[in-house]
Amino acid sequence: MEHTAAYLGLIPLLPLTGALVIGLLYMFTCTTNPLPEKLYGALACVGPLLSFFLALVVFFHLKGLPPEERFLVHNAYTWFAVGDLHINMGFLADPLSALMLLFVTLIGSLIHIYSVGYMAEDKNYGKFFCYMNLFLGAMLILVLGSGPVVMFVGWEGVGLCSYLLISYFSEDTNNVLAGNKAFIVNRIGDLGFVLGMSVLFWAIGASGFDYLSLRANAHNLTPAIGITVCLLLFVGATGKSAQIPLYVWLPDAMAGPTPVSALIHAATMVTAGVYMVARFSFIYAHFPIAGSVVAWVGILTALLAAIFGMFQKDIKKILAYSTVSQLGYMFAAVGVTAYSAGIFHVFTHAFFKALLFLGAGSVIYALHHQQDIWKMGGLKDKLPRTYWTMLIGALALSGVPPFSGFFSKDEILFSALATGHTGIWFIGVLVAGMTAYYTFRMIFLVFHGAPRDKEAFDHAHEPPAVMTIPLVILAVGAAFAGVLNLPAIFGGSLNVSQWLEPSLVEHHGHASIWLEIMAMLASIGVVACGVYIAYKKFGQGAEEPVFTGFAKIGYYKFYVDEIYNAVFVQPYKGFGSIISRFLEPKVTDSGVKLSSWLYQKAGTAFKALQVGYVRIYALYMIIGLSLMSLFLSQTIN
Amino acid sequence: MIQHYLILSIILFCLGILGVISRRNVFTVFMSIELMLNAANLAFITFSRLHLSMDGQVLALLVMAVAAAEAALALAVVILLHKHKGNLDTNVFSLLKG
Amino acid sequence: MFEYALSVMIFLPILGGLAMLLMPISRGASRITGLIVSLVVLLMGIELFLGFTGTGGMEYLENRPWIESLGISYGLGVDGISLLVLMTGAVLFPMVFAIFTTQSKGYYANLLIAQGAMIGAICATDLVLFYIFWEIMLLPIFFMIGIYGGPKRLPATLKITIYTIAGSLLMLAALVYVGVSYHNQFGKWTFDIVQLGALDLGGGFAILAFLMFMVAFAIKIPLFPFHTWLPDAYTEAPTATTFVLSAIMAKIGVYGVIRFVIPVFEVEFVRFAVLLSLAGVVGMMYCGLAAIAQKDMKRMLAFSSASHMGIIAVGVFCMNTQALTGSLFQIAAHATSTGVLFLFVGLMEERMGTREIGDLGGIAYRAPIFATFFAIAMLASVGLPGTSGFIGEFLIILGAIKFSGFIGFLAGTSLIIGVCYMLWMFQRVFFEKENDRTAAFPDLNVREILTFLPVILLIIGMGIFPQTFIKKIEPAAQLQIAKVFAMTQSQVAETTVPKPGHNNHKN
Repeated sequence: MEHTAAYLGLIPLLPLTGALVIGLLYMFTCTTNPLPEKLYGALACVGPLLSFFLALVVFFHLKGLPPEERFLVHNAYTWFAVGDLHINMGFLADPLSALMLLFVTLIGSLIHIYSVGYMAEDKNYGKFFCYMNLFLGAMLILVLGSGPVVMFVGWEGVGLCSYLLISYFSEDTNNVLAGNKAFIVNRIGDLGFVLGMSVLFWAIGASGFDYLSLRANAHNLTPAIGITVCLLLFVGATGKSAQIPLYVWLPDAMAGPTPVSALIHAATMVTAGVYMVARFSFIYAHFPIAGSVVAWVGILTALLAAIFGMFQKDIKKILAYSTVSQLGYMFAAVGVTAYSAGIFHVFTHAFFKALLFLGAGSVIYALHHQQDIWKMGGLKDKLPRTYWTMLIGALALSGVPPFSGFFSKDEILFSALATGHTGIWFIGVLVAGMTAYYTFRMIFLVFHGAPRDKEAFDHAHEPPAVMTIPLVILAVGAAFAGVLNLPAIFGGSLNVSQWLEPSLVEHHGHASIWLEIMAMLASIGVVACGVYIAYKKFGQGAEEPVFTGFAKIGYYKFYVDEIYNAVFVQPYKGFGSIISRFLEPKVTDSGVKLSSWLYQKAGTAFKALQVGYVRIYALYMIIGLSLMSLFLSQTIN
Repeated sequence: MIQHYLILSIILFCLGILGVISRRNVFTVFMSIELMLNAANLAFITFSRLHLSMDGQVLALLVMAVAAAEAALALAVVILLHKHKGNLDTNVFSLLKG
Repeated sequence: MFEYALSVMIFLPILGGLAMLLMPISRGASRITGLIVSLVVLLMGIELFLGFTGTGGMEYLENRPWIESLGISYGLGVDGISLLVLMTGAVLFPMVFAIFTTQSKGYYANLLIAQGAMIGAICATDLVLFYIFWEIMLLPIFFMIGIYGGPKRLPATLKITIYTIAGSLLMLAALVYVGVSYHNQFGKWTFDIVQLGALDLGGGFAILAFLMFMVAFAIKIPLFPFHTWLPDAYTEAPTATTFVLSAIMAKIGVYGVIRFVIPVFEVEFVRFAVLLSLAGVVGMMYCGLAAIAQKDMKRMLAFSSASHMGIIAVGVFCMNTQALTGSLFQIAAHATSTGVLFLFVGLMEERMGTREIGDLGGIAYRAPIFATFFAIAMLASVGLPGTSGFIGEFLIILGAIKFSGFIGFLAGTSLIIGVCYMLWMFQRVFFEKENDRTAAFPDLNVREILTFLPVILLIIGMGIFPQTFIKKIEPAAQLQIAKVFAMTQSQVAETTVPKPGHNNHKN
């Protein structure tokens, strides 16, 4: 028992050590005598694989315990303690974090292996793996942290790695700008997180600022403070998980290498916000108003991103918007207090979205960094393994039964309906159709029809096994992960939800089985329509259309980036230069300038008295002496 | 009775001041200063007589000695000034003008 | 021998510096002397830190009468409040001697004198003694900027000197007032800060004296709107001087407020806390915004430094244990991170002859070690968890939220503001395309790596194991806050303590 708990600290430490070793090796050798890539590749995979192994140990240990005792806490040391604030560098494994742990380490390991092949020609091989390991370590701290502050360490750590990896190809200014954007937008969210934590601490943190103590004290929260905390924390979640209004960084984040997009910007980091809301379910569940805000923001983000996704032509941008859209679903789920459904969608989404990204990576790799889907086509026979695995991913993403996405998405939509959020359910179904449409638009344009760029097509070849094996493993997950949480109507017993039960505070809605079946049929029908329309338009090959009207606005993403630029970025910069050009020298410094000016003027005034003639000075002297005598004679009497 | 001496002393002193302020020749200024010193001496002696104390006389002697020394120094300075500028008009020496 | 540790730490550098000026030794020899002296001080500082028990009271006390008729004594001591400030003064100086090899003998001598005076100001427990060291501190700065500074050094020197002396004179007047008040109340003279704490001041004159003290410290910190000397002085000063100014001297301003103003003027302090903390956040935002418009790296860092000092000041004015401890911790964290950044910029200027952001680019490809070190210091300065910057900033924001939600929110925006200009600069200097100038940039050599490594490790260590430091400073902070509340609550019931619903006695 104690023994297993001690592993918890080791789980994040292993990749972090890997990052340190790789980083040091790379830092000291890259300019003089670069080390072989194989060394870095091998070193990089050790940490994640060992962590995965330990995660399995922890998972099975928890499984062996009775459900209400499934908590492992390992407090490594006191991080800092000031007054009532006592923060342990503590790690907590409970069903929720164990589930996250399991798939983060699994997918993390797979993507590391994939990257060994994908990054083979990159000259900064070591740097890449250093960042990747660092990321995994930070992500594991985020997942395992026993309280909000430790979680925040991972939270910011993954943000940093995200920045470093987005701006990885840093010679191109645009990539660095995308990285900056990601970091800064995330920081806006982090402000919400920090403020939320602070308010929470002053409300109920005095007797322990970790999840278990907070959960025990959560009933002491007044509605005003509780809702404030929920909303502030949610601001943090919108930053990290790319929700309205802070979603803008994620599409730009595709500037990073594709494995990064798969790992960080699809499977793990961006779901941290959902995880956080689920972590704080003991607060959110008490305040349905805050939950509704979360749910509505989520579903509107899902809708908006789906609209953008329908018009993109960069394969990674399509996937990016689809990620934003799916994250919206997850928030809709946690917003209507269906935390387990949200987390289950996080889980399945990690598989199929990582799969799709890695598949897209294979395509890009095969076509020598071509990302425009209008320049692809007919790759089905050239890249059979990629095609079949991606097809599974696409089916899962679209929510086609019996692939994993169907079950998780359906659970969310049903929960929305069962808790009386009909509007959310309706938009959710609509988005499901749009998702099916844009996913298959991508599949058809990339793999079907005739090749649009003949030369690239001829040179295309299936990537090496180190890249395709992870694809196959992920495809298995994407196809069958749904079985883990079969609802009652399919004869299952919601295993994942039951597993998560001890970690979460849920209010289950009640609805009849017929409603459930109807809802399911409705979404299947809409998905079928989406796929059919995509097939009609693109299945036989199509030419790149010229966007007009709504499509054009959609392609330019409703000009949100431009609006943000005009409303926030430019005024910010302008304000900076106003301060440095005008306020600082002319206004703030004016007090100082004024006093020195006064001294000068006074000097000039007194200068007139300095005539330079001895006799005049004598006169002054006499006047002065006379006045002094006068004064003395007056005061003495 | 005693105030006549003092009035004379004040008159002499004022004449000296007027001389210092209004005359431009260095020598005249110098002589005016001597006049003021002597006015002061007169006052000293008067008070010495009034209080029947020797202090005033001692001071008057001291002033005379200082005046003699000063005269020697001042004349040397005047000669230098003349060498420097070629005349003895005080308005020529106005380096301190602001 | 160790009972005189503080005196030795003060006078060894001062005497060393003076001796260096008098002896006919070469530039290299004087640098070595400086290095040795500062290393001795460093070792003594470490020994002192390890021996410090952290119970909240003064340790390593030295006290002997000096001008007995006025109750002025030569009193030295260290407690949790001064410990980390003292440590920054002791730890950071050897780096300066180790890195910069091209300065003249007088420069090294001035550096040593500055160190001694700063340590003196930090350790003094007597108000007059503090004032004397406070003034001595300015002299070497005056010479270092005035003689060895950049092209526009003369106006900058005049500005900083006259500005700070004006403040100091106000402090002198207020100091006399405090002494006289004590004499009137208790019938004897003393300037010992512990005894002055018993003083019960009130009325308009006390407010005036409080403001005079605050202006003196606000100029040194510098607190908005008294910061205008800073960009000029920091930019024109030679790198090592800028480093000393930002890493240590500015901190003594904050330290002075905590040590000398709060215990004497509790009531006035509480009354003005909202206004002062507002000045802190406004300064933080103002300088942070100004930083993004700078073209000169050093000037940008100068504004960044002022911005951080604003947030440190907020922590002091929020009056709870978390915020005060956060400020004390952040003092050390900021000294290491921003101080090192100034040194890095100096290094770049030395090697490439420019520090215009627009002229640089792509340094990360040529000099990965330098870039990594720089990035770590930069991340600490923007408060990334895992580095020293986070702990202090988090505690300050946490405390500020308790003090007032609005101030807390504004203080929190430092998370965003800091990262904007830092990333912007990092992008232009270390990423993007390299040019002829940066292509020739050599990476750090072994000597430089060995010099910077301890500080870089310190930055990370302070982020991962902050409790080592916090447990020594926290009791003192708690004591200080408890005293303030004991005084104010017994004296004035209606003072403007915000959020009366909250329970203040434990925090």
